[in-house]
Amino acid sequence: MSDDFSDPYEGYDVLSKWDTPSFNDQTRRVLAARRTPPARRFFTQEEWRTLQALCDRAIPQPERAEPVPIAPWIDADLHADRGTGTRYATMPAARTAWRQGLAAIDAEALVRFGTPFADLAPERQDAILTAVDDESLADPYAWEGLPARRFLRDTALKTIVSIYYVHPQAMSEIGYGGPASPRGYLRLGGDRLDPWEAPQGHWPEDEDR
Amino acid sequence: MTRRGREDRPAPAATRRGRTGLGMLVLGLGLGLAGAAAAGRLARSRKHADIHDASLRRTRDGAAILGASVLMDSAMEHFRGGYENRVMYLGPTMAAASVAASLSEPRLHPGGSAARVAHGACLVTGIVGTGFHLWNITRRPGGLSWNNLFYAAPIGAPGALSIAGLLGLATEAMAVRQEDRRTTGRALAALSGLSLLGESAEVALLHFRGAFHNPAMYLPITVPPLAGIVLVALAVRPHAGGQRVTRLLLRIVGGLGVLGTAFHVYGVSRNMGGWSNWRQNALAGPPTPAPISFTGLGLAGLAALDLLDNARDRA
Amino acid sequence: MTPDVGLASHGAEEAPRATAGRAPDVFSREGWVPMREHCRDEAVDFVIVGAGCGGSVLATKLAEAGHSVVLFDAGPFWRPLSDFASDEREQEKLYWLDERISGGDDPIEFGANNSGRGVGGSTTHFQMVSLRFRPEWFKSRSALGYAVDWPVDWKEMWHYYAEAERAMSISGPISYPWGPKRGRYPYRAHEVNEAGLVLARGAEALGVDWAPTPLATVSAPHGKSPPCVYRGMCKIGCSTNAKQSMLVTYIPRALAAGAEIRDLAMVGHIETGPDGRATGVEYHRDGGWHFQKARNVVVSAYSIETPRLLLNSACGRYPHGLANGNGQVGRHLMVHANHAVWAEFDREIRWYKGPPSMACCEHWNYDDDDPSRDFHGGYSFMSQGPLPSDFAGTLVGSTGAFGMDLRERMARYNRMAGLKIVGETMPQAENRVTLSDETDAFGLPRASVSFSYCDNDRRLYEHSQRFMTRMLEAAGGGNFLESASTAHLMGGCRMGHSPEDSVTDADGRSWEISNLWICDGSLMPTAGGVNPALTIVANAARIGDRMVRLAKRGEV
Ligand SMILES: Cc1cc2nc3c(=O)[nH]c(=O)nc-3n(C[C@H](O)[C@H](O)[C@H](O)COP(=O)(O)OP(=O)(O)OC[C@H]3O[C@@H](n4cnc5c(N)ncnc54)[C@H](O)[C@@H]3O)c2cc1C
Ligand code: SF4
Repeated sequence: MSDDFSDPYEGYDVLSKWDTPSFNDQTRRVLAARRTPPARRFFTQEEWRTLQALCDRAIPQPERAEPVPIAPWIDADLHADRGTGTRYATMPAARTAWRQGLAAIDAEALVRFGTPFADLAPERQDAILTAVDDESLADPYAWEGLPARRFLRDTALKTIVSIYYVHPQAMSEIGYGGPASPRGYLRLGGDRLDPWEAPQGHWPEDEDR
Repeated sequence: MTRRGREDRPAPAATRRGRTGLGMLVLGLGLGLAGAAAAGRLARSRKHADIHDASLRRTRDGAAILGASVLMDSAMEHFRGGYENRVMYLGPTMAAASVAASLSEPRLHPGGSAARVAHGACLVTGIVGTGFHLWNITRRPGGLSWNNLFYAAPIGAPGALSIAGLLGLATEAMAVRQEDRRTTGRALAALSGLSLLGESAEVALLHFRGAFHNPAMYLPITVPPLAGIVLVALAVRPHAGGQRVTRLLLRIVGGLGVLGTAFHVYGVSRNMGGWSNWRQNALAGPPTPAPISFTGLGLAGLAALDLLDNARDRA
Repeated sequence: MTPDVGLASHGAEEAPRATAGRAPDVFSREGWVPMREHCRDEAVDFVIVGAGCGGSVLATKLAEAGHSVVLFDAGPFWRPLSDFASDEREQEKLYWLDERISGGDDPIEFGANNSGRGVGGSTTHFQMVSLRFRPEWFKSRSALGYAVDWPVDWKEMWHYYAEAERAMSISGPISYPWGPKRGRYPYRAHEVNEAGLVLARGAEALGVDWAPTPLATVSAPHGKSPPCVYRGMCKIGCSTNAKQSMLVTYIPRALAAGAEIRDLAMVGHIETGPDGRATGVEYHRDGGWHFQKARNVVVSAYSIETPRLLLNSACGRYPHGLANGNGQVGRHLMVHANHAVWAEFDREIRWYKGPPSMACCEHWNYDDDDPSRDFHGGYSFMSQGPLPSDFAGTLVGSTGAFGMDLRERMARYNRMAGLKIVGETMPQAENRVTLSDETDAFGLPRASVSFSYCDNDRRLYEHSQRFMTRMLEAAGGGNFLESASTAHLMGGCRMGHSPEDSVTDADGRSWEISNLWICDGSLMPTAGGVNPALTIVANAARIGDRMVRLAKRGEV
């Protein structure tokens, strides 16, 4: 897995539409508030370190001096006990699941490499996450009552991406139109773009063709 | 890192961003031309001693109004289409030429003139355009389906350019053949009557797409076709009478063009964001330049009536 | 009692808005409309619990016939123009986020997937696909040999479908390729976006029919609704009011006809009197519990909360919950299999433009004789347009992708297209809602849901994935990805022919308590292979007319 990200839509920024009819007041308000991540209130310092390392591995952002913050919002949701509507019968409640899951990831790192997850090299972190996803665990006891794959995919990764991909920088990098109200879109065909959309992207394989 | 500056990137295969700049230029030039010609037309306007000259003038005004409507409408619609195909410039360009040609003084003797060439070219462009639009419709999944008729290239639009061209040619012919007013009148009545029917058919399609959500949307598919039918009837049997009703109907048609424009302006404002979201709504909402074409056709119809009346008086 | 979710809710989540003789004007940014209010101690004709498809329609019908109606909803009363932002996370405020416990072999995901909370119910964030049932599905058992028959004739439903389509100004095609003839849709179909044309091309290549999807969003102005602007955020709430949700269609009508709406009012119990009849409901609003007297109680809280409320209302006389003497409450819960196939294209599709499902295919709802058909029931499928966070969730949920791999895959968002089914599942008694030992913030036992697919369900979705892969391939796609999910809830308190195997009769009247009614998606005996909202609305309209007739005869 390479650690480079080639941005097909480089130069496109949904925020350049801030003062256009693509944005309305309530959307501006929501996005403005997202600029200031909340302080940690739920996790312990130790859990926080593991969580941040997990977020960094899930969505690495080496090209950014200031990466899009993810962990603070997870912390805030758990602090507020904002639910998702679902608790799988095989899973503990969200707060417990996160605490146990982070501890178990750390335990797996310690058993395998003798180092906390946060201090591992990226390749080793990847190896831990892959093991969790495959449920081929060196320390299965740490996962008792917490199905490892379900935690990783449905709790951890889903939450992480749900925070990252609502951030304007993430919208921009995938060429998504971003906020669109009151102005939506006019040209619905695939070969037509509205002037307020991202120009066509560039992919390496197209350049080979 | 594989990031690259924008500069050293190969040009994309096709940036379908639409060549909107050039489109605006065409529109601007066209409007400028039309404006200049209209100014000239105003300066020349005088009381016409002869009914023939007056009808000629009226028909040319009608053709010019129609051309201006087509100019704006096709500039906007092709802008929506991103001027993806270079041929798309032809529509607004020819419409601009049509306006200018209609506003210029007709030649009084036969033989080629720039205006005649322009009118003829408009006629041809309209026909070719219809072919292009049909191709655009049928190549989409669903083929000749309602959805494509509603949303692909508008099938009836290029026809309006042909009509503008035909009207222009008609005035050129009128200018040369001063004498046979009956025949000219009948021809003009037939042309404007059929054009009204055609225009109404296109409006019917588009207002059907809009689900006739406002009862006023039935107006342009009732009055103009009625006027169209009586005009055609007059062309066939010029002595049958009914001129007075026809004249009234045509006046209403002319008024509808103005009223329709107002309705369309209001219609755009009903879309989300109204006119402040004009970049979307001017194109997504009802086309503001379209309804005035009825005023143009109404004028041509009135001119035909004048000629027929005059021919009868002189007879 | 649930924590505020939105930042731009303008207080809608904190304090009730419909009070003091007025309710929010949903077509304004901050305006009001007058609202009739009823006294708590005076019995109203009808209390309705839940202001979604079932509750809104019924409240309208009853109020328009002159009955006194109080309509409760646990969630807020939104004004979409000022409260809805273009943001997936903010708009989670539309979902029922309070936890339900989800078990069984194939546990269901709730929240964003199937449950709304607020005046208008799940339709504030539904995707507007408005299809009719195939007529034979009302007689699945006798005509097609599976599941059960509805206690309703299809011709009657056909009449009410037309009424529902008019009320919701459905924009649909001039001719619809499947099923018996229907009248013209009130509005014309929308332009099909590129994601929809992928389905169209695939269908034409495989020789099956396709159609522009009939959608509950207007293609031209309607009243105070502007036409759809194709912003594609229907699932997180339409901020233009183009979407014809219950909130902007039936709710204003109900208010105008004199119904009272109580928002942020969670009903916890239905009380019964010494004669065993319902006497009213206990509800939590403005920080305290209150009681509203009523001559009739209607539960319209959808397939999880309707059974939950009936079970939570157990008392000495009804120890197993109300209307549950036969143990049928909560059973035969159904979902739609929502399996999908996604493909990458070598050009941009930009599926974020336009409502998410602009083209549909009902081939497998109507073709009974194809040799490849190895399942009962049917499925339809539609083109897709998930928003980024939603699609990222699908990606990680079905592949476990993370790291740069995930970012790179997401960077292909604009080149993706997908097809997703609405697949019928069989009603099974063991797929059910029960009460858990845990309680929620109101002190009410939580719902515990158990769901497992049966073999037929599995054959159906596997068939669909094979077929959709072929179709995407025919349309030029590659790099396929399959995902599994569920959508929509149905059943849980089904209506039927006899008190032995159902909860209510064809009128939604519970067999056990004559003034306790049910009117929502939980009545559905079978799921059909199409999205349920239009059927729920049509059925509610039918029940509404029926109740008004019964009332005239003094039988309510
Ligand atoms: C993301 C999504 C997309 C969808 N897309 C489509 C689609 O395209 N087409 C389609 O046909 N269907 C679709 N649906 C399904 C459709 O929205 C539902 O089937 C339909 O709304 C159900 O109607 P209902 O009246 O049974 O319940 P709901 O509309 O859910 O209404 C129930 C209401 O009851 C309230 N309530 C619950 N318990 C209580 C209580 N105890 N006290 C007070 N109030 C209570 C809730 O707050 C809610 O507002 C979609 C659903 C979702 C979630
Ligand atoms: S696409 Fe249309 S219906 Fe959907 S949110 Fe936008 S305006 Fe509303």
